[in-house]
Amino acid sequence: MEQSLDQATGSPASAADSGSFFGIPYGWPLVLAIVGLILIMWMAREPLRRVVWQIFFITGRVFGRWGLWLTEHGRNARTNCNEKIAAHRADELQDRMLMLEDRMGRRAEKLAKETGPVIARLDKSTHQLATAAGELTDINLEDAAERAFRAALPSMESGRGLNKLEKNIAQSTARAMNERLVPVRPALQIIKAESPRVRELAEKLTKTSNEFNQHVDEVNKTFEEFEMIMRSDDRSKIAARASIVIPWLIAIIITAIALSGVFLNFFLIERPMAEIVGEGARIGGIGLPTFAAIIVIFLEFVAGVVLMDAAGFTRLIPAFHSMSDGSRKIMFWVAFAFLALFSVLEMTLSIVREQIIEQQQETRDLAAQLITPSLAPAPTADAPADAVTETPPAEAAVAAEKGLALSTVAQLILAGIIPWLLAAAALPLETIVRNTVFMLSIVGSFLMLMLAFICKTLAVAFKNVGLFALTIYDAIIFAPLWVERRVKGTARNRRSGGGGDSEDADDVMVLDRKSPTAPPKEPKQNREKNREPELQKA
Amino acid sequence: MIGRSFLNAGLALAIAALVGCGLVTSTNRSVFFIFDVSGTYVKSVPDAAKLANITIAELQPGDWIGASQISACSFSEKEIILQRQLPTTPSLAASAKRELFEAFNTYAGGVKSAKFTDIRGALAQASDELKRRPEAARFIVLFSDMVADYSKSCDTANIKLDLAGIHVIAANVIKSTPGDPEKYFAVLKEWEAQVVAAGGTWSLVSSPDQLPKLVNEL
Repeated sequence: MEQSLDQATGSPASAADSGSFFGIPYGWPLVLAIVGLILIMWMAREPLRRVVWQIFFITGRVFGRWGLWLTEHGRNARTNCNEKIAAHRADELQDRMLMLEDRMGRRAEKLAKETGPVIARLDKSTHQLATAAGELTDINLEDAAERAFRAALPSMESGRGLNKLEKNIAQSTARAMNERLVPVRPALQIIKAESPRVRELAEKLTKTSNEFNQHVDEVNKTFEEFEMIMRSDDRSKIAARASIVIPWLIAIIITAIALSGVFLNFFLIERPMAEIVGEGARIGGIGLPTFAAIIVIFLEFVAGVVLMDAAGFTRLIPAFHSMSDGSRKIMFWVAFAFLALFSVLEMTLSIVREQIIEQQQETRDLAAQLITPSLAPAPTADAPADAVTETPPAEAAVAAEKGLALSTVAQLILAGIIPWLLAAAALPLETIVRNTVFMLSIVGSFLMLMLAFICKTLAVAFKNVGLFALTIYDAIIFAPLWVERRVKGTARNRRSGGGGDSEDADDVMVLDRKSPTAPPKEPKQNREKNREPELQKA
Repeated sequence: MIGRSFLNAGLALAIAALVGCGLVTSTNRSVFFIFDVSGTYVKSVPDAAKLANITIAELQPGDWIGASQISACSFSEKEIILQRQLPTTPSLAASAKRELFEAFNTYAGGVKSAKFTDIRGALAQASDELKRRPEAARFIVLFSDMVADYSKSCDTANIKLDLAGIHVIAANVIKSTPGDPEKYFAVLKEWEAQVVAAGGTWSLVSSPDQLPKLVNEL
């Protein structure tokens, strides 16, 4: 009986035997603790709710604001990028139109010279043909035949023989025909000679006309695209039509090839630069001759960029756009002179390089010759000892000198060419720089939009987790809340005589209810104006 | 010529500015050769001089070279054979190297034997000279049998050596006691311990091609 009572009451003695929950024995103590906890939670509901609000809703709102900001700026960035691409495409087309116009102008100038003689010849040939045709139409063969027959009649009367008659008629007809055809023969010759010429001239004119039409088509096509770019509101569509990646890749490949030339150049001039700047110092971990060689290569490249810009092949330097033609010509020749000087410098350095190598080898040889055989280093595997003995020394020396001279010539050629090749590397540089900017802008705008999506997702997640936490909280303190509502409802009924319209009018736990003391909602325009400071705060 | 002068002046100014910023460092090295002229080693001096020549042939323009000999009382300016810095340009450096070859050959041809072997004094002398040099990499190349023999008037056996930052290379160490290899190895070990105790680092070179590599690649 005592045991059952203990079980029913959940006394500490029996609970201690059956275990505990966080140090609280199962049974009544645990129940009391839970009830106490629920009551504490009910009492602390308002501050805790504010804490939850602060943690989840404010954080969510901040993420939401960030999301909005990023979306807006990402779209703006994309729009700006599209605008720039379209503007660049329009510039390209404008240049192309100008170039085509120029080409057509020059062609038109030539056209008058080309077509003038053709037309004159054609006119002459046509006139001759017309004359010949007139002469041909004037011939009346029937009349000629009749006249011939009539002329043959008197002889028919004098001679009675039939054979003789036939003969006379035939002879008279032939003579008459011949007389008629004699003046026509030159006309026929003219027709024969002029017909192919006329055909040739006609072909030439057709070709000229086709070329002209082709250019006109190109201009029209370019102009249509230009018009579309200028008038179309769909900038993204316009931007999508302009190819960015493929020219960029091609430019990268060409630049990579040019860079391999730079490396070659670098190894050619690195060693002889020691003769100019000396050795023994390092700048930022790079040897002084290496540093000087790099500087020379950079200077060559800069001279190349100036040359290409001054020549109008590229538009990398904005100052050249506003320069007069005369100034640009001066800059072109200055850059050209610098490149030529660099070319000569490199050629000189390549000769110096050979001299240095020779001197170093001679010094090493001298040091090795002085050594006794016992101390001489062993010959290397790729230089067999018997090879020296097999070749006579004089012949070997001549062969070596010949090889050396050839290699020097090869180095001279390389040294002379490479600065100009470096200058040519400036051509794809413009495409690389411009398209890289476009690509980075596009990637940047996409990154912003992606971040905006992540921020918005986080905002929604935070808000909903907060709501879920509040719901769980309300579920835990459901009982005291219910009691509170009942009590408040009864009191309100008493005060208002049972006319309470809403039970939860002052329930602080309702999330979407607005506080009666809260300020009225701002108009939308004001909210838009206030958004900026809020964004800054966020 | 004028252009070159302008270029050099410009580079000098640029280097001065960079030195001020601490961006410019020197790659030059100073190498001090010590020749043992005691009775047991004097015959090997020509070989040692030739080894020194091979090493010099591989040195870089701007490197510094010094040489002295081990005699009865080595810690003295009188024992210094030569001191020279190679010019910084390769062509002039090559000419200077040839002059050094001549100097060493002349020295090796007319070397006179000494009665005692003051190795520690020679090391102290070389260390003193190297410490005055601005080069960061410092080497002492010792051509000796490493058997010390101090005179009473000049006993440097117990002097304190300071070889901090110096790499000591023993080259062409002849075996003066063929019947007692252990003694040879013991002597080398003892010298290594002394050099390390003095703050230096130690290397033993056995073949001629190792020495230039060691000096240039360390």
